[in-house]
Amino acid sequence: MTTTRNQPDRLDQPAPDHVGPAEPGRLSHEGVGRSWTVVAMREVVVRLTNRAFLVSTALTLLFLAGYGAFAAWQSGRTTTWTVAVSTSDAPVAGPLVAATGRAAHATDDTVVVTTKPVSDASAARAAVTDGDADVWLHRTDAGWTATSADDVPTGLRTALEQAVRTDALDRNAAAAGTSLTALERGSALSVDRFSGAGTDQGFVKAVTFAFALLFFMSAMMFGQQIAASVVEEKQSRLVEIIATAIPVRQLLAGKVVGNAAIALAQVVLIAGVGLVMVSFTDFSALLPTLSTAVVWFVLFFAVGFFALACLFAVAGALASRTEDLQSTTAPMTTILMLVYVVSFGLSGTALTVASYVPVASVVTMPARILAGDATWWEAVLSLLVMVVFSAVTVVVGERIYRRSLLQTRGRVSWRQALRTAD
Amino acid sequence: MTTFGDTDHRPDHRAGHRHTGTAHPPDARSAPDASGAPAGGVEVRGLTRTFGQVRAVDGVSFTVPPGLLTGFVGGNGAGKTTTMRMIMGVLAPTSGEVLWAGRPISAGDRRTFGYMPEERGLYPKQPVLDQLVYLGRLRGLSTAAARASVTEHLERLGLTERAKDHVEKLSLGNQQRVQIIAALMGEPQALVLDEPFSGLDPVAVDNMADLLREHTARGVPVLFSSHQLDLVERLCERLVVLSRGRVVANGSPDELRSRSVVRHRIVLSGDAGWVRGIPGVHAVDVEGASALVEVVEPGAERALLAEAVRRGDVHEFAPQRPSLAQIYREVTA
Repeated sequence: MTTTRNQPDRLDQPAPDHVGPAEPGRLSHEGVGRSWTVVAMREVVVRLTNRAFLVSTALTLLFLAGYGAFAAWQSGRTTTWTVAVSTSDAPVAGPLVAATGRAAHATDDTVVVTTKPVSDASAARAAVTDGDADVWLHRTDAGWTATSADDVPTGLRTALEQAVRTDALDRNAAAAGTSLTALERGSALSVDRFSGAGTDQGFVKAVTFAFALLFFMSAMMFGQQIAASVVEEKQSRLVEIIATAIPVRQLLAGKVVGNAAIALAQVVLIAGVGLVMVSFTDFSALLPTLSTAVVWFVLFFAVGFFALACLFAVAGALASRTEDLQSTTAPMTTILMLVYVVSFGLSGTALTVASYVPVASVVTMPARILAGDATWWEAVLSLLVMVVFSAVTVVVGERIYRRSLLQTRGRVSWRQALRTAD
Repeated sequence: MTTFGDTDHRPDHRAGHRHTGTAHPPDARSAPDASGAPAGGVEVRGLTRTFGQVRAVDGVSFTVPPGLLTGFVGGNGAGKTTTMRMIMGVLAPTSGEVLWAGRPISAGDRRTFGYMPEERGLYPKQPVLDQLVYLGRLRGLSTAAARASVTEHLERLGLTERAKDHVEKLSLGNQQRVQIIAALMGEPQALVLDEPFSGLDPVAVDNMADLLREHTARGVPVLFSSHQLDLVERLCERLVVLSRGRVVANGSPDELRSRSVVRHRIVLSGDAGWVRGIPGVHAVDVEGASALVEVVEPGAERALLAEAVRRGDVHEFAPQRPSLAQIYREVTA
């Protein structure tokens, strides 16, 4: 009762921190500032040990590699067309087949045309029906006829027509006292374009489609995973333990950064393999332009992904059970679908506008770069718009996430979440 | 708990109130923190939380002193979980405050607390060891420190062989143990545990109680809620009883007993019917030579005893220790 009667001092002075176990740092607690790295590391590890993720990535890469290998094999392969010629026609038909070979080779350097001498019409028929020859070239009253078992391969037919025609014209010109060269003078049409060396239209379409597909698939997959991992923590109340350990902001940052890193790595990997595969195809000449477009795509993707990841995390926080996710992620799913469907159907002014609209610009601006109708400063400008959009989204998203994460009483609507105060 | 500490610290508490300008609401029926807990620990002052029209927690004040096991008792919907969530900062109070070591609690303080929420959950598809180490890292432990603490706890709770198993493969009882480790690892500075004993078998309850006592032995304040009154009676050095959002009793079990109406059993040589006529005493039960009486006016038991001695032999005259269940019924009535 009298041992510590010196207490009344403390009426005037705040009590010094002395009693109880209040001294912190017994186990060297680290600062809270870098907790997001711990969260990000977990996200990365969880993603990288997820079998579904690994399998889908491997399948995509295998598909790309397979396609590339097929294209390479296709372009390296030589096609041989065999023309059967009867012994009686041989003196004239021989040079004709040689001319056919030159014509075919000029269009496609993997094609070779050979002659197969046959004794007569019945031997020719046998050779063609057995597949030893593709056509039988023989003289008729009207000129030359190519008889085949089925349709004559288009390339061979064109080459034959050209050879026969040139041969006939040559001889007719000589008979008229002139030459084919003289007749053809001034008849050639050269093709040129004001926009410089443009890229093949079909190729641009195909690559735009690939960008759109890659963006859509990746954003959807990672977005849904982020939302699911947020609701997993919320539903299991793990978030209550985590929220008492670290600020909710750090949890969100860790999730977004961790998933963004994996998503970006996956996109870079797929794009890289894609580029290597393109180098094996006839489009390899377009590789420099394509690479530039891919680099822009990856840049836009990286910046845009932060906004999307944040929005998907918010969608997870708004849900209280996994079943709610479908409705809370609906706005993002709709936007992504729109970007996917619209982006490769646009052209002209609409495309130009879309290339500045965040999220859509991930696909449309690299597409314009590839087509050669956007300059680097346009891309930089659009990227800046995207950076601003992402920054605003992350700030707003973080607030909604924080407010709704610890609300466990049912689903929170987007409108409610935006209205509630802290 | 002791009169000694009691007189010692009362002025201190009042001083604290004047400093912060927060007073107990006048209507709070809570017993003042007169138990003389040393300064520090977790202190809750006038904590109130409303959900729409409903006051789930209404001016709750109590202290969880360092080094003591404080039981938090109350019926369903009494506000225990809401109070604990506010202590841990998971829920913002409508009014009132939480103090730690005499000053308003900060997020940094809470980070060093061990917390077990009411509804349990872990990452179902992550191995036990990995996710416990992760939770330890979030609390600021180094990987090595977290791993050491988790390994030790797994061993003590008999889960060493399950360390690499996914949580979803464990039985509910084992999942509960993992949850306990999540709260207890890494030498927390305070423990706030919502129903930590639910779902545990008797052996696990004893293990858990031993673990909690180790934490109180190193001076950590421990608050745990439970509706198993026998368990609380056995374990707790202090008790806070909540009813309809208010503190209706607060103190050590003995203090609560002394505040309760005292019953005496008296066994005489002859018929005990006469005890009904003694003023200030209420005869609860009279059967032959034996009677159970409640002393309504203090001191009346002396008149009773004097009268009994005058009438003949007194074989037994003893105060009855009220059970916690009885006290609980009295205070929540």
